[in-house]
Amino acid sequence: MSLTREDVAGIARYARIALSDDELTEMTAYLNDAVALLEPIREYDLEGVEPTFHPIGSLVNVMAADDAAADERALPLGIALENAPSRVGRSFRVPSILGDEGGAR
Amino acid sequence: MANLDELSAAQIAAGVVAGAFSAVEVALASLDAIAAREGEVQALLEVSEELALAAAEATDAARAAGEKLGPLAGVPVAFKDNMQLIGTRTTCASRMLENYRSVFTATCVQRMLDAGATPIAKTNMDEFAFGSSTESSAFHPTHNPWDVTRVPGGSSGGSAAAVAAGEVSLALGSDTGGSIRQPASLCGVVGLKPTYGTVSRYGVVAFGSSLDQVGPFGRRVADVALAMNALTGAGRDPYDSTSQDCSVDHLTRLEDPIEGCRVGIVPALMEAPGLAPEVRAALDGACRVLEGQGARLVEVDLPNIASSIAAYYVIGPCEAFSNLARFDGTRYGYQEPGCADLATQTALSRAHGFGEEAKRRQLLGAYLLSSGVYDTYYLPAQKVRTLITADYVAAFERCDVLLMPDSPRTAWCFGEISDPTEMYAADMFTISSNIAGNGAISVPLGLGAVSGLPVSAQLQAPAFRDRRLLAFARALERGVDAGRGLGNGAPVAPAFAGRGGEL
Repeated sequence: MSLTREDVAGIARYARIALSDDELTEMTAYLNDAVALLEPIREYDLEGVEPTFHPIGSLVNVMAADDAAADERALPLGIALENAPSRVGRSFRVPSILGDEGGAR
Repeated sequence: MANLDELSAAQIAAGVVAGAFSAVEVALASLDAIAAREGEVQALLEVSEELALAAAEATDAARAAGEKLGPLAGVPVAFKDNMQLIGTRTTCASRMLENYRSVFTATCVQRMLDAGATPIAKTNMDEFAFGSSTESSAFHPTHNPWDVTRVPGGSSGGSAAAVAAGEVSLALGSDTGGSIRQPASLCGVVGLKPTYGTVSRYGVVAFGSSLDQVGPFGRRVADVALAMNALTGAGRDPYDSTSQDCSVDHLTRLEDPIEGCRVGIVPALMEAPGLAPEVRAALDGACRVLEGQGARLVEVDLPNIASSIAAYYVIGPCEAFSNLARFDGTRYGYQEPGCADLATQTALSRAHGFGEEAKRRQLLGAYLLSSGVYDTYYLPAQKVRTLITADYVAAFERCDVLLMPDSPRTAWCFGEISDPTEMYAADMFTISSNIAGNGAISVPLGLGAVSGLPVSAQLQAPAFRDRRLLAFARALERGVDAGRGLGNGAPVAPAFAGRGGEL
């Protein structure tokens, strides 16, 4: 069952990557090639095999102390905003989430 | 005196400590070599001259004040451009991050600096580390120093080429499916992917979080061991939850004999279609080198290793899609101007900020994680990972180290591999140790009999036995050196050796 242009357009919307018509054609061919490469995965009988989500099995999660004031990694506001393409005051600036009617840009 | 590219990292540090030359003189020699060589190599995205000179001056001042200098005192080092370093951009070779200024410094970078290293440059790479040739860099290709019409491999191609061209003595790269070992192989330098969890990834832009590992490039195994001491000596990094305490001295057992040790050979890999005969012949030579030092070859099997590529191209893209969701044009990175709503701004920022391969990988990951598909590929891939890991455990009951191919062939020409899924086969021998997490290293074997280009062997050891792995790599280097009469580890590519860089 191969992926159609419409399928790939839906995946691209989900991935929030706008594709041109040419890209949609190229990505449809690519995704079908790539998925074909993955077929060996489907040929296994994996009954009773546990998944490994992490390569070092004995690792345990490490939790930092829940103390924001003690976190020396916290970036000062000016530095945190330094790379933002649009900002206003102490905030990242974004267009309306609701479109034209949703508020001033 | 000498040219910088004739000296090992250890010799440079010893010379700085002894006062034979200053750290500033070394930094200037490295910058001079870059000025003379970089035009043809294009290994670098940014030369951090001011940072380099400031660090070198601090090293010289510390010596003048009678302070003890670090093991990398004055050693010129370059960092892959997915590693944050305050005072440089961190672009991941992407338009998305073209203007991104590092706001903190990665632990791996900081530890090299703490050991006294001089930060010379940031290196070119495949965009966001997606690739095996460095051709997907948004900025420019990098040329293989052994033949500038050919690729250096990837994704850490700039780091490998900078070391092979003698611009720097050491470089750091990152390896998700072979991105240290394969460019090391194609450029004729040593490249180590340590065991997952050995080197902190804090401050390294994430690609595949269950696969990524940072490691060093050098022209000698001992230099790579020296860098590992700097990277691991301070113990685990509290800023990286995967970080383990691996603070052993990687130099003290480096010259240990391998007599009586068992070297595992996987016949199916040695007979694999796609493995170039000249690489196979060099691997046979490597076997003889290890046997000549008293090691015994044993045949072992990794029955599920053929499924590594399939498992990887499920797990890697899924993790990449998740990790690269942060590039939405809001907090940093490229932002499409004039969009009426946030969803449009996000979709267009990502469309115009990412290159084609970065889009391909993310779309593949998005598809594989979508409802109904997850159970068909993602979960089974993680179960196949269990089988591959179990294969390694069984193999390492019968041998101390595995010797296998690294890159299946020598460096290819620009544009020669244009089909994306064909490019994925470049990692056929390296991917399995990212799946299983154990350490692996590419060791130069000289030049291929047909191509005249660098060929290498890959050695793999059980997880967290990287010090032992380095001793096997050193044994192989010793034998190869003896056979070629060099005695000095891997040479700088002849077309670049001695150009600029007088010390």
